[in-house]
Amino acid sequence: MQTSTFIDQPIKKAESRAKYYFRKFFQRKTAVIAAVIILIFLFFAIFGPQIAPFDPSLPDYDNLYGAPDAVHWFGTDEFGRDVLSRLLVGTRNSLGVSLASVLIGAAIGTFLGVLAGYYGGIIDSIVMRGSDILFAMPDILLAIAIVAIIGPGIINVVIAVAVFTIPSFARIMRSATLSVKSSLYVEAARSIGCKNSRILWVHIFPSTVQSMIVNFTMRIGTAILAAASLSFLGYGAKVDEPDWGAMLSSGRNYLDIAPHLVYFPGLLIFIAVLAFNLLGDGLRDTLDPKLK
Amino acid sequence: MYKRKILFVFIFLTVFAFAAQGLLTVSAQSDNAAKAPDQDLVIAFNNDIRALDPHNVSDTLTISATRTMYESLVKFNEKQEIVPLLAESYEISDDGMTYTFHLRSGVLFHDGTEFNSDAVKANIDRCKDESLRQNRIVKQIANAEYPDPYTVILTLAKPNNTFLNKMTMFDFIAPATIAAGEEKILREPCGTGPYTFKDRVEGDHVTVVPFEKYWDGAPQVASLTFKAVPEDGARVAMLQTGEADYIYPMPTTQIKVVEGKKDILIDAKTSNIMRYVTLNTELEQLKDKRVRQAINYAVDKDAYIKTVFNGYASKVYSCYPETIQYYAPQPPYDFNLEKAKALMKEAGAENGFKLTIWGDNITSEEKGMQFIQQQLKQIGIDVDVMPMEANVVAEKIQAERDKAEVNMWYVNWSASSFDADGAIRAILHGESIPPGQYNSAYYNNEEVNKLMDEALAITDPKILQEKYARIQEIVWDDAPWIFLASDQVISGYKSYCSGIQLYPDGAIDCSKAKLN
Amino acid sequence: MGRYFVKRVLGTIPLLLVISFLIFMFIHLIPGDPVRNMAGREATTEELENLRESMGFNKPLYQQYFSYLNDLVHGDLGISYKTKLPVSEMMIGRLKPTLKLTFFATLWSTIVGIAIGVLSAVNRGKLIDYLGMLIAISGISIPGFWLGLVMIQIFSVKLGWVPTGGLDTWRSYILPSITLGCGIMAILARFSRSSMLDSLGEDYVRTARAKGQRERLVILRHAFRNSLVQVVTVIGLQIGGLLAGSVLIETVFTIPGLGRLLVDSLAFRDYKVVQALLLFFSFEYILINLIVDLLYGVLNPRIRLK
Repeated sequence: MQTSTFIDQPIKKAESRAKYYFRKFFQRKTAVIAAVIILIFLFFAIFGPQIAPFDPSLPDYDNLYGAPDAVHWFGTDEFGRDVLSRLLVGTRNSLGVSLASVLIGAAIGTFLGVLAGYYGGIIDSIVMRGSDILFAMPDILLAIAIVAIIGPGIINVVIAVAVFTIPSFARIMRSATLSVKSSLYVEAARSIGCKNSRILWVHIFPSTVQSMIVNFTMRIGTAILAAASLSFLGYGAKVDEPDWGAMLSSGRNYLDIAPHLVYFPGLLIFIAVLAFNLLGDGLRDTLDPKLK
Repeated sequence: MYKRKILFVFIFLTVFAFAAQGLLTVSAQSDNAAKAPDQDLVIAFNNDIRALDPHNVSDTLTISATRTMYESLVKFNEKQEIVPLLAESYEISDDGMTYTFHLRSGVLFHDGTEFNSDAVKANIDRCKDESLRQNRIVKQIANAEYPDPYTVILTLAKPNNTFLNKMTMFDFIAPATIAAGEEKILREPCGTGPYTFKDRVEGDHVTVVPFEKYWDGAPQVASLTFKAVPEDGARVAMLQTGEADYIYPMPTTQIKVVEGKKDILIDAKTSNIMRYVTLNTELEQLKDKRVRQAINYAVDKDAYIKTVFNGYASKVYSCYPETIQYYAPQPPYDFNLEKAKALMKEAGAENGFKLTIWGDNITSEEKGMQFIQQQLKQIGIDVDVMPMEANVVAEKIQAERDKAEVNMWYVNWSASSFDADGAIRAILHGESIPPGQYNSAYYNNEEVNKLMDEALAITDPKILQEKYARIQEIVWDDAPWIFLASDQVISGYKSYCSGIQLYPDGAIDCSKAKLN
Repeated sequence: MGRYFVKRVLGTIPLLLVISFLIFMFIHLIPGDPVRNMAGREATTEELENLRESMGFNKPLYQQYFSYLNDLVHGDLGISYKTKLPVSEMMIGRLKPTLKLTFFATLWSTIVGIAIGVLSAVNRGKLIDYLGMLIAISGISIPGFWLGLVMIQIFSVKLGWVPTGGLDTWRSYILPSITLGCGIMAILARFSRSSMLDSLGEDYVRTARAKGQRERLVILRHAFRNSLVQVVTVIGLQIGGLLAGSVLIETVFTIPGLGRLLVDSLAFRDYKVVQALLLFFSFEYILINLIVDLLYGVLNPRIRLK
């Protein structure tokens, strides 16, 4: 059982394991930097309104589309509002929506996927046909449909993005479970008479964690972009509150005359997604039991 | 090693970002001599063309396309006057009941048959079908007589001063095509217009070519293509690369980009579009006229035009723009916060209140709603901006009266036939209160209703001017809306294009188009 | 295998029936009234009512569903409210550009994505790995619509190398396929890298190495083949996603494809077109899934088909 993971170890041992993982994680400098960047974003998300140099919603009709200068470092937008302040304050909305929706989607999707993969049969059919139906609709359209039915608003956008996150987790976790299911240690566990639920959550689930982490980090990026696409199509969380996706989408109309309106929110989205991906890679390498 | 990697990330990011920005801001002036590369005129629009049935069109773009192939008895000229087209002349009886049209002779349909009173009859008969949009015109006709091939006498059921305006929208299809059914009309349009149908790729383009036997001289271009290009940026890019010779609408934000270029010209005109925000007069907070006037004073119209339209809109001094008949300017609600606050206080609303504003979920509308939100904040009104898909807004507006949730609706109206009745009836008449029509201010002024109904039966322009002026005066003072502005219709085109007429409703007349 | 295939294909019929019902309910339950869009804003209440009656919207919903189903069984998808053309004709016209676009995007992104993934895995921790993953991460981090607009600005407007859009020449497809394929390329690169790493750590690869086989052969024959399982899943999953991506890309590049038709029709509440398109997408997706499932068995003998 050497290749199983830390979750099924006694608590005392887990502490030392945690230390080991920390040490291992800190060896990966890119992941650490990514983590630091994410921490900075989290800091913005919490203290954004306090550190913003200007009121993010204060218009200045005499300074529309202002290019970056000493006063407005990132320029001003179509209402003369300070772009830097809006980006800082908007961090909360942007990260909040994507994190919340991926968490919800991942939890449901993973649960369903592992169940389907392990038990097969009727459960598998129901889960997989269900996700087939969800999956058969183009993501964005599904999100639009959900927002159209339940109405606009930040919680509804979270639900919409979460719903189309579910099938991807379900499918990937199912296939991961399938490939683990036929592996030696699971067969061994089964042969010594372990209960299904124990095999499922103690032996199979932990070894699918790495697949989940890779998918999870990627889905956060996807979720940020999905929220931006929803804004692009006019179904964003809130137009009057600062939000990276909304800023990028409205900025596209001014690409020629005020590229900074597209450039800065785009870059921030880019860095955020990059950071999550690098962190995910770092975690994967750290947690991957086979590479110890 | 790791340091190198990190360095690499930042080099990559920086190079990528600056390369992109650099390329964008370096304005590569095109030195194209202002000479047309070919004789194929391409006009790029923001929407797809719908069904090519001239008796069933409702959107300006499709009308622009069908108008290249079809004509009406009378039309608007560029000064918004009604002038003869397929009719050489017309008379209206004094009681406003009988319209006599003398048809032009020698006009041919694309299939070679002659345009005459039989053709008029075939078209009027077709539009007796209630599911066709132009039934609204034919429905008004009580009796049609065709005494000779070049005379048509139409008698109305009751007098209606907008009848002639509506006749500018009534196009004529060749009788043989009508007889062959709708399928034929859609696939092989056949009218008397300057162009004949060539091909259509649904969702992409419609192409027409000059009709050699056109009565007023065939157009000089080799072909004319209407292309659907919904994305603003892409449309402007096509104009710059020359893939399109003429684009409409030209987005106001991008005018700066092409302004300095010598091969691109901009045509901006006052439109028939009225921009306003309906204020639900049945709502507790908005019941008081003084509050509604305060709101009008609190909105800086100059800043609105500058911010939302980049300067390309006109101020309005009435409930409809000056391109519409019988326009009567009123004393403006100039931006005045002191006055606004005083009025709010008078009405006992100095502490402000909360309102929602609805509107379509497209960028320009969202921008306008946010502007209103910013402005009303100044007098203590807290506005929640709620953009929704157009269909959803429409459905919510059409709620039963006792279940109405609308506070403010950011919207616009354009009277397609430029008549005063069309500019106000559906949005200000007491009978137009939803569900049904669009009077979402729930504005119901007995005098206004009465004046509107009386005016319909009057043909004397002088009395009409008085009646409509009085309506505008009352509505302006009652302030059931925030009166914002009137859009300008703007097109962008290559300097080698000429003779293309842009009308205030955004329709484009290509009959005299030339590529030099 | 053959029986399994037949069973799965037959199994899609009730699924499609359920989907057709869901789609019908969805489109009729969301707010909106196609009659208002058809008649235009100036239409009177009476005109709207006439049109509603003549379109059959006043019948009960279940009757409308059954008549839709009846038409469907007879191969009639109906007439578009917006253009009055047969829906099937419109779809065929729109299918070509979307298929071409999807094909080119899938082609280049699969080749490039897998190449980057394998190279990165083999050269784990070296600069080439780093570079590959950076490209991959950039690919998924860039909003497609933004990339499209920027590329139009650079390559069409400023440099004049390719048209801004449309579908007139093969060159028109270059920018949109690049934009559309970016995401898949990135995802494939990442997945093929991680699954390659997994395979490279497996016992049979170690065994092969220990037996003294050439490194390239080990990688291609053993590691790569086994990592294909996950990669195929991902490609399958992503092709469905391409259609969603193409909604935005087709708008930006002015391509009259299925994606744009869907969004425009939804905005118009052109029920017949939306129903037909969603059903088509569902069918297409189920088909791809079926193929993916079958390939599973072929590529990974450890999973046996029932």
